[in-house]
Amino acid sequence: MWDGIFTGLTTAVAPFNIMMVVVGCFCGTFIGMLPGLGPISAVALMIPITYGLDPSSGIILMAGVYYGAVFGGSTSSILINAPGCSSTVVTAFDGYPMAQQGQAGKALALAAYCSFTGGTIGALILLVAAPALATVSLSFQSSDYFALMVLGLSAVAAFSGKGQVLKALLMTIFGLMIATIGTDVIYGIPRFTFGNLDLIDGISFLLLAMATFALAEVVMTVLKGEHKEDDVPMDMSSLGSMKLSKEEVKHVAPTAGRSSLFGFLVGVLPGAGATIAAFLAYGVERNLAPRAIKDKFGKGALRGLAAPEAANNAASTGSFVPLLTLGIPGSGTTAIMLGALIAYGIQPGPRLFVDNPEVFWSVIISMYFGNIVLLILNLPLIPYISRLLIIPRPILIPLILFFSITGVYLVSFNSFDIELMVLITVVAIFLRLLSFPMAPMLLGFILGGMMETNLSRALIISDGSLAFLWERPLTALIMSIAIIALLLPILGRYIGLKRFSADSLVVADKGEG
Amino acid sequence: MTLNKDHIGGLIFLTISVVYGYYAYEIRMFPGDQFEPFNAQTLPIALAWVGGLISLVMLATAGRSEEPNPNLAQLNFLLVGKLMVLVWLFAQALSWIGFLASTILFLIVGYWILGERNPRILLLASVPFAVGFWLLLAKVLDIYLAPGKFWQMVLGA
Repeated sequence: MWDGIFTGLTTAVAPFNIMMVVVGCFCGTFIGMLPGLGPISAVALMIPITYGLDPSSGIILMAGVYYGAVFGGSTSSILINAPGCSSTVVTAFDGYPMAQQGQAGKALALAAYCSFTGGTIGALILLVAAPALATVSLSFQSSDYFALMVLGLSAVAAFSGKGQVLKALLMTIFGLMIATIGTDVIYGIPRFTFGNLDLIDGISFLLLAMATFALAEVVMTVLKGEHKEDDVPMDMSSLGSMKLSKEEVKHVAPTAGRSSLFGFLVGVLPGAGATIAAFLAYGVERNLAPRAIKDKFGKGALRGLAAPEAANNAASTGSFVPLLTLGIPGSGTTAIMLGALIAYGIQPGPRLFVDNPEVFWSVIISMYFGNIVLLILNLPLIPYISRLLIIPRPILIPLILFFSITGVYLVSFNSFDIELMVLITVVAIFLRLLSFPMAPMLLGFILGGMMETNLSRALIISDGSLAFLWERPLTALIMSIAIIALLLPILGRYIGLKRFSADSLVVADKGEG
Repeated sequence: MTLNKDHIGGLIFLTISVVYGYYAYEIRMFPGDQFEPFNAQTLPIALAWVGGLISLVMLATAGRSEEPNPNLAQLNFLLVGKLMVLVWLFAQALSWIGFLASTILFLIVGYWILGERNPRILLLASVPFAVGFWLLLAKVLDIYLAPGKFWQMVLGA
């Protein structure tokens, strides 16, 4: 393990990789700040750039963008009450009232310190938990993997919010269906290509991610007429002091610690993600607070801002655990990273820890660097970066559209891909209007190939019998958890466990981290 | 009974599942593959059945949905349609007039569609950006960008 950590550290401190962390955090902050564009879109927009880099640098860049986007989302939540992504919706509850009271600088600083705490605690736990889990998962067989993928997909559906379970399940199936387009990886038979040579290789995950997130997010903004809104009601040059007093630090420190641990644990659960972590941490902190402080929640309470910020960053780190150790993404963003790793020819999962220790460890270590960069570089630059919010939307939107399209075109140099993007975007907008979440589809699409391969192996080994689902205790256990995860929302409705869902989780799809 | 979002969604996915299932059974296989425990049709057929089943459950429970239908009158479909056509035209233009000219035109028309009318802004926000981006790709990163059939016809090879 120590050899691996040393290799990872050597890779992570390479000047080029440090530059990638800095660039990633900076770009992520900017993109995350733009209302409507969340971490998924930010990471998706970076993929074409990462294709030219080696795997470690590429993933480090994406991890930096991920962190930056979550941080950028908090900034726009605090400054203009327009969360860049769903995981920072809660940040606006107390952050924006603070900004209105002339404490924007303090709110931003507190958000940055708590994000740093969350990210640091998350990275430290990841450092211990990921290799331990990876070692255990080395004994997994194809039936266990199949069960794990079923668990990952069903958990995404289960955590999708009130009234969304069936929709999320349908979108997962839809993603799996799209994954079957193209040449079958096992038998080499073309499926659903309708004689079109452009579809022989299937639909690229980059194209799907760009069309359903980056492009569709922007187009939805136009559809709702939000591109005309002036989102910059405050003077960006006068954010107020960024200093926190000793009493204030003492007041929020326990909150940040608690919420970080809590956020990490929620983040590890496949499908739960940063949004649920932030909402839960906020709720828990409010319940724990004495009456006098409880009344301040929603009106600019420091603890109300600290809790979701620490939790969402820790959860972002936590979501890397299933990705790095099991090869199963826990969120939309990590799903995109999984796709990028596969494109590099690297198979995430327990073997990653053994076969590519430099990727495994450098990602974990650079996550910590990312947190430091956000704190020492982005925070002082916020007054300047936030001025970018002033760029008029009629100029910004065509530019984002252009980057989304060319990102895909410059990989394939096939204009058919752009036409396909238009088609998929139109379908995605239509489905969004019907409140269908997009993240489960992307997850289904990315896991589709692996799921089919593992199902095929398991069925061949068991000679076509489905008994492999319950004969092996581990497979049976994972399948049972998957079934419980699916039944939980239904049971929860009856026993009143879903107090936090409602509005909070319905938005979970919008840029879910 | 009025149709709500869930009814429409359920119907759409039921249709998708039926059509997908039809084509799943049409997937050609190598001789003898049909006797294998797993073949190219196995997963698609399973997905079609599961998708159809969930769609039916959704249709059956759609009446209980509390979600309000979207107010379509407030949505600007015309503007989105224009943008989508612009993206499609950009795809066509790439092979005819090349990357640089397509980008400039795409950005100018995009700004225009979204309401920017100042000719100075239209040009300043598109030409320098497109030229800079083209230089970065073609000269710095050494990526070959085809000049476009039109220019080849006019200027020769």
